[in-house]
Amino acid sequence: MKLEMNDKDLKQGLFGLVLAIVEVIRDTLRIQALKRMEGGSLTEDEINRLGVTLMELDKAIEHLKEEQGVTEAVRSVREGLDDWVDSMVQGLTDPYGIAPSRQTNKEKGICT
Amino acid sequence: MMTDKGLYIYCLAQGNQEEPLELRGLGGQPVMALLHRGLIAVVEECEAKSIQSEDQKVLADGLLIHQSVVDIAWERYETVLPFSFGMVIRPMDGKTAGENLKGWMERESEELRGKLMRLKSKAEYGVQVIWDPTIVLPKIRHNDKEIQDLEKEIQSKPKGVAYLLERKLAEIIKKRLEEAANVYFKDFYQRIRNCVEEIHVEKVRRENPPKQMIMNLSCLQEKDEVVLLGRELEKIGKIQGFDVRFTGPWPPYSFA
Repeated sequence: MKLEMNDKDLKQGLFGLVLAIVEVIRDTLRIQALKRMEGGSLTEDEINRLGVTLMELDKAIEHLKEEQGVTEAVRSVREGLDDWVDSMVQGLTDPYGIAPSRQTNKEKGICT
Repeated sequence: MMTDKGLYIYCLAQGNQEEPLELRGLGGQPVMALLHRGLIAVVEECEAKSIQSEDQKVLADGLLIHQSVVDIAWERYETVLPFSFGMVIRPMDGKTAGENLKGWMERESEELRGKLMRLKSKAEYGVQVIWDPTIVLPKIRHNDKEIQDLEKEIQSKPKGVAYLLERKLAEIIKKRLEEAANVYFKDFYQRIRNCVEEIHVEKVRRENPPKQMIMNLSCLQEKDEVVLLGRELEKIGKIQGFDVRFTGPWPPYSFA
């Protein structure tokens, strides 16, 4: 298959991918920050500074996405990642596609 | 007639007459009815190789032709066992594709007849339930003390702490919505199950935010007895924040 691409496509695709990865890292940082906050090992002042830093990171990411016109590209990469993780989990938990949800009523012994 | 050629197969049916279907299929060749001991294979002569194309449009058009041939066969024979798009029977071991196909029909005869019997006069219906969490959420929020307390706490905190608490609130809301979706799923599943013969739960598809598909079902039911399902779906569609998509009747692709 011939791949047609110009500089603009390449830049948008690459930038979209980079920002999607930055967002995933930001999400991980958020989870860690919440765990620390809940764990009680931080003072209120430390929690506040951590929150402000993450807030600034949010603003920077949103600004970059808008400025570079890659909001859609980032969303698409993240949806692709979500689908990939979904199918990985599905593959690990139900490799033969025989989870109960695929069973028919008759197979479940349910009378209709 | 058939030598080094392959046979593209659309569906199987029960019958005793080998009349052609008077239409052309995927490759522009006449669609034939190949009879073998009371079973009919609806086929078209083609090259003995897989149907492949890198062009999505070519594949999508092919799929539509496949479906329309199965539809026409379904109308003629009432009950069909549809095949997935892209199945080609090849000549092998010195036998033509037609001989191979008949051999397979012979070997699997009992199981194929059993499947056709199970699908007799039945059709597949698609049911998708979509909800708008923004409409359902106020009800959840109203009854949840943890959410209410957290919302109050956020207002009294400095902005960095409030930011983190808002994230925590978002996680709790997400969890509550998932729980609610699960409860609705079980309720709707039960209600729909009582109106159909068989159900397959399919993967949900992505909707335009904020809407989300919470249920995607393929249902098998007698064509003449689908009114009950229609009525139940109408009731579900009337619940505030929910939409129901109901499609069909289709040949029973998901149950073949």
